[in-house]
Amino acid sequence: MGILEIKQLYKSFGCHEVLNGLDMDVPEHSIFGFVGQNGAGKTTTMKIILGLLKPDSGSVTVCGEKVTYGETKTNRNIGFLPDVPEFYGYMNPMEYLKLCGEITGLTKYKIELKCEELLELVGLKYEKKKKIGGFSRGMKQRLGIAQALLNEPKLLICDEPTSALDPVGRKEILDILSAAKGKTTILFSTHILSDVERVCDRIAVLHGGKIALSGTLSEMKDRYRHNGFVLEFENEKEACFFENAEELKKPEISLSRNKNVVTVLMTGRDMDGHFLLCILSQKRITPLKFTVMEPTLESLFMEVVR
Amino acid sequence: MTGYLAFLKKEVIEYIRTYKLFIMLIVFAVFGITNPLMAKLMPEILESLATDGVIITFPEPTAYDAWTQFFKNATQIGLVVIVILFSGILSSELSKGTLINLLTKGLSRTAVILSKFTCMVMAWTVSIALCFGLTYGYTMYLFPEDQTSNLLFSVLCLWLFGLFLLAALLFSASLTKSNYGCLLITGVVVLVCMLMNIIPALHKYNPISLSTDNIGLIVNSIDVTSLYSVILISCLLSLIFVSLSVLIFRKKQL
Repeated sequence: MGILEIKQLYKSFGCHEVLNGLDMDVPEHSIFGFVGQNGAGKTTTMKIILGLLKPDSGSVTVCGEKVTYGETKTNRNIGFLPDVPEFYGYMNPMEYLKLCGEITGLTKYKIELKCEELLELVGLKYEKKKKIGGFSRGMKQRLGIAQALLNEPKLLICDEPTSALDPVGRKEILDILSAAKGKTTILFSTHILSDVERVCDRIAVLHGGKIALSGTLSEMKDRYRHNGFVLEFENEKEACFFENAEELKKPEISLSRNKNVVTVLMTGRDMDGHFLLCILSQKRITPLKFTVMEPTLESLFMEVVR
Repeated sequence: MTGYLAFLKKEVIEYIRTYKLFIMLIVFAVFGITNPLMAKLMPEILESLATDGVIITFPEPTAYDAWTQFFKNATQIGLVVIVILFSGILSSELSKGTLINLLTKGLSRTAVILSKFTCMVMAWTVSIALCFGLTYGYTMYLFPEDQTSNLLFSVLCLWLFGLFLLAALLFSASLTKSNYGCLLITGVVVLVCMLMNIIPALHKYNPISLSTDNIGLIVNSIDVTSLYSVILISCLLSLIFVSLSVLIFRKKQL
């Protein structure tokens, strides 16, 4: 059973339908990438999970408990990092984390312990007595992670945590998230695909108010692997010779050549790499490189969203 | 309960660090000092302005004049300052998103409303007490012979009116998303009270009597018992406003 289960979720704002029968299942101890375009409904979904928005219909279960709108009981298992976390500017990180700890009902001793540990983890140890008002966006984001992890949540929800950050800040946030993986399950929404590839082990693509695609990263790549090959030859002459081979002049094969590199895409069922290797040995050509084309997440995403 | 106390502590820190409390205390302290002073000096100022040949005579100022100033300033300017200061009580937290974090930590929405109301009432109580203390001390010093009656009861009525106003403010804040909307609805509530005051029969039940009958109480022209019903009604209305705020805020989509 997953730590978060969403069944047939519908939500519209006025006549604008955002979620249209969303189903999702997040297994424990995974980093779940929740991908979608701007305005696809990622934040809406997250707010419904947190009980901040009321779904039109459908159910959300967190750790086996049903989420009810307006009540925050299920939130004790959840840590939430908003896209642009805002804090009380007149407080310092230590005070803010203490406030959060008191609200969650942690003991005084535990709060002290956790605050020190988390500020160390997110690298705000030396800023703990500075006012949050003067913090940069990256620092606020890091404090956001600290407050989200404070109650040792079983599920950590991050809403585009890296969108507004510079490359260094992004790497830091992703490293912190990877480090938290052993302790918690992370639901991580983003539209930056390289981030997903870096840290996530499962992904779901939200499109048209539904999950258009989901599974582990390798599963998805397998499913969408084309019979595509890239062959690199020693010179252009050999490449041309190969490209113009009679055996390759079939409607189910498409060829493209860029200098001494030939890309072959095949849609026929019984055609695979062996077929190409046979041709190569018949023509007595040895390519410099023979690679199977890996589908990138970007190409998958584009295909789904189109 | 833990959420309520933790959030109340946060509110107190906010009032102090964002100078909200400081502004309120300054405003009310200034009134507290100037109320008796103005009463004492006003005739002299006006007399000095009189040109040759025109003799204006004023009656000797009394403690009543000082208290008239007190009730006029506290209700007219003091309460307006408070309403403006607190108009963003919910909208600022909602628009900035600072509340979302805490709500997702398991803070109940009821605790948010109740602790915000508690803190506003506390600030109002401290302010009016300070203003009253200063006016009282100064008046005793400047007009030692004058006696007033029902003074504490009269101030208590004013305090209760403030409480009623803050409850209305909280209710308005839970209804709207902006602080202007909040100001507008609070204004409408006060306006309705004022319009109702035109009908003499309703005067006994109109919360605004708590802020208009104060002088009458001091000079004994209004009987204390005549205000009992309005006190009950104001308490009841405040309770209704706060309960409604809680109900509305719990159903609010954030």
